[in-house]
Amino acid sequence: MLSRSAEGLYWMGRYLERAQHLSRLLRMQAEALVDRPVNEIHFGWLRVYGSLHRQPPVGSLELLAQDDYTLADSYTLADDLTFEPTNPASVWSGISSGRENARHVRHCLSAEMWTCLNRTYLRVQGMTIQDIWASSPERFYAETVADIDTFAGVAAATMYRDEGWRFLNLGRAIERVQLSSALLHAQIVAAERTRDVSEAAWTGLLRLYHALEAYHRTYGLTVVPRQALDLLATDARLPDSLCRSLDMLSAELADTAASPNDQAAGAAQRLMGRMSALVNYAWLDQDDPKALLQQLNEHGRDLHDLLTDSFFNYPVHDVPAR
Amino acid sequence: MDFNDYELDGRIYDEMFHADGNARSHYQGVHTALTGTSAADLADIQDQVTGSFSSEGISFKVYGDDEGDERIIPVDCLPRVLSASEWRELETGLTQRLKALNLFLADVYGPARIVEDGVIPVDVVRGCPQYRIEMRGFKAPHGVWVAICGTDLVRTNEGFKVLEDNLRVPSGVAYMLANRKAVKASFRRLYRSSRVQEIEHYGRVLRTTLEELSPAGTSDPTIALLTPGVYNSAFYEHMFLAGQIGAELVEGRDLLVDDGFVYMRTTAGLRRVDVVYRRIDDDFLDPVVFREDSLLGVPGIMHACKQGNVTLANAPGTGVADDKSVYAYVPDMIRYYLAEEPIIANVETYLCRNPEGLEYTLDNLANLVVKRVGESGGYGMLIGPHATPAERAEYAEQVRANPADFISQPVLDLSRAPCLIDGRIEPRHVDLRPFVLHGRQTRIVPGAFCRVALRRGSLVVNSSQGGGGNDLWVLEN
Repeated sequence: MLSRSAEGLYWMGRYLERAQHLSRLLRMQAEALVDRPVNEIHFGWLRVYGSLHRQPPVGSLELLAQDDYTLADSYTLADDLTFEPTNPASVWSGISSGRENARHVRHCLSAEMWTCLNRTYLRVQGMTIQDIWASSPERFYAETVADIDTFAGVAAATMYRDEGWRFLNLGRAIERVQLSSALLHAQIVAAERTRDVSEAAWTGLLRLYHALEAYHRTYGLTVVPRQALDLLATDARLPDSLCRSLDMLSAELADTAASPNDQAAGAAQRLMGRMSALVNYAWLDQDDPKALLQQLNEHGRDLHDLLTDSFFNYPVHDVPAR
Repeated sequence: MDFNDYELDGRIYDEMFHADGNARSHYQGVHTALTGTSAADLADIQDQVTGSFSSEGISFKVYGDDEGDERIIPVDCLPRVLSASEWRELETGLTQRLKALNLFLADVYGPARIVEDGVIPVDVVRGCPQYRIEMRGFKAPHGVWVAICGTDLVRTNEGFKVLEDNLRVPSGVAYMLANRKAVKASFRRLYRSSRVQEIEHYGRVLRTTLEELSPAGTSDPTIALLTPGVYNSAFYEHMFLAGQIGAELVEGRDLLVDDGFVYMRTTAGLRRVDVVYRRIDDDFLDPVVFREDSLLGVPGIMHACKQGNVTLANAPGTGVADDKSVYAYVPDMIRYYLAEEPIIANVETYLCRNPEGLEYTLDNLANLVVKRVGESGGYGMLIGPHATPAERAEYAEQVRANPADFISQPVLDLSRAPCLIDGRIEPRHVDLRPFVLHGRQTRIVPGAFCRVALRRGSLVVNSSQGGGGNDLWVLEN
């Protein structure tokens, strides 16, 4: 497959995963605005911005915390994260970049995938925060989450299982690892910085990963932070757990055809092994999950570079014999 | 719907109706069906057609437009119908014309007999900016310089005429296929009962054509479609066609040339490319040979082409044959190379490079269409009757300053076909662009990219100038 097409599919996967992840977070924030105490809402924003390594447009979140949290602040923050075109991390940026990449590689997608993604794009295009804020912002986020789930389902049902499929999934898997490691890290940091973190901050995190019921069944009704983290990192039955995302990543990587750049491809395989080992073997004995998550996230970034060198932008030394 | 308000004008050929108001025989089915369809149902059908284009993202781009974003070509849902015999005549005429044009190209880049024999003045050929001196002596595979040609045809009361040959990178075929798909899905019963000739196999025919032109000794050639990229107005078509013909969709940066061979960068390493269906202009094809500031092209690809290691379709340099001045000589080419009379006529053309042509043009500016030789897409032209005296005077200055850059033609009464406009059926001017494919033989899929001037009275059908499309149905015998 053409390197540029593979790269386009890979990025499409990454962007859509990113847009969905953020929509899930924002949906929870929007719900919290209805009935949760101010400090919990604050915790939520701290967590979101922390996981994106980004400063909010209103200055510092610490400053905001000193005043009473107003709805206006949340409105500004949600706008920044949802529709702000200059914010590369916003939901809109994710959808439009994902769709732009899809446009480049449309011939590698099934017709149904394109139509599905294009509909999502057309739905969100031109919307503003005012449009969604007055009635039910959570509905907008829920629809966006569902749209991208639908896209994944349509892809699974219709896409030819060629290399393109593999690179699309490589992108999705690596993005998941990056998003989850960053979010769990941000959760720990936010918890450290906040006095009297409520249990709700942790149940919220579990709900985000569809893991609350599973947690109750495994550990009981009281949510203990470390146990929540353990579940989210190491439970292979949880679709979005770190270890599952890593498994997906490693399976897709193992399936890719031989790379023209042996060196980088070998390094990528070894790094993949180390990343899996961090979660599968080191995690439970590790007292400081924060450091481990940070390391995992850095490895993820390096793995991306190695994938680029292996398949997309490898150096051309020798031209094959004709 | 009734046709009571449908305006007929004896000077203008109506595709559906005879001058006496009776429907032409090949239009009977469509006429009856439309008469029996309510305005509301037709509006639904139009919505369906438009909706399918929007959700499928079938778009083009308009240059010089600030919004510059993707736009949907407006498609009119009413089909335009041609009879089998009308089509056969076009087919023979188009085949004849392309054959002569290919012989002309081989000649002007070779011995130039046609110039020597005085059929075409040397300066018309050599003075043409599209004449590529680099191609002299090039032997195109099987003599085929133009493998894909899109000929613009119009119809008047005198019959069909060729308005323009597009021999470089003609576009629009994806719309032909998309229009058909959308329109037949909306007029299901009418489509089946009308017995329309299929066009879906265009991709396969194109593939066969390209395979036939692959460099000697390659069986099962690797074909790549070279696009300028997603910002090009026709990107949708490039993407679509690549899928149809099983080609990789490549940009210049995906290709490299080593030792006279072309390779593309794949995830598994470099892979040799045999045939490049290129959709970028000569100027941008190879920065080593043509414009050195081109970032879209592939350095060295011209060398590979001239070595015969890769086939470029169409070959570079074909623009000399669809130049607006050279156009005037195509009927002579047909007589010269084939010793036949042209089957489809040209539009009468006055070359301003000739003193008598210039004089005629300036004297009759109010009744002529004046075109710039180097422009296409309806840009830079003057439609005399629709221009103000001031506009005409200003244009006349430009013509006087550089007469060789202009040609003029009488304003044609382009035929009109019924279109659905604001809930009513009204006639609009139309043209059509069939696609002629030439490998070892000529093949024409029975269909065309049909353009409609949707603005009332407008004669400009270009998509970039407010034109739309409709679906052409060529009936079986």
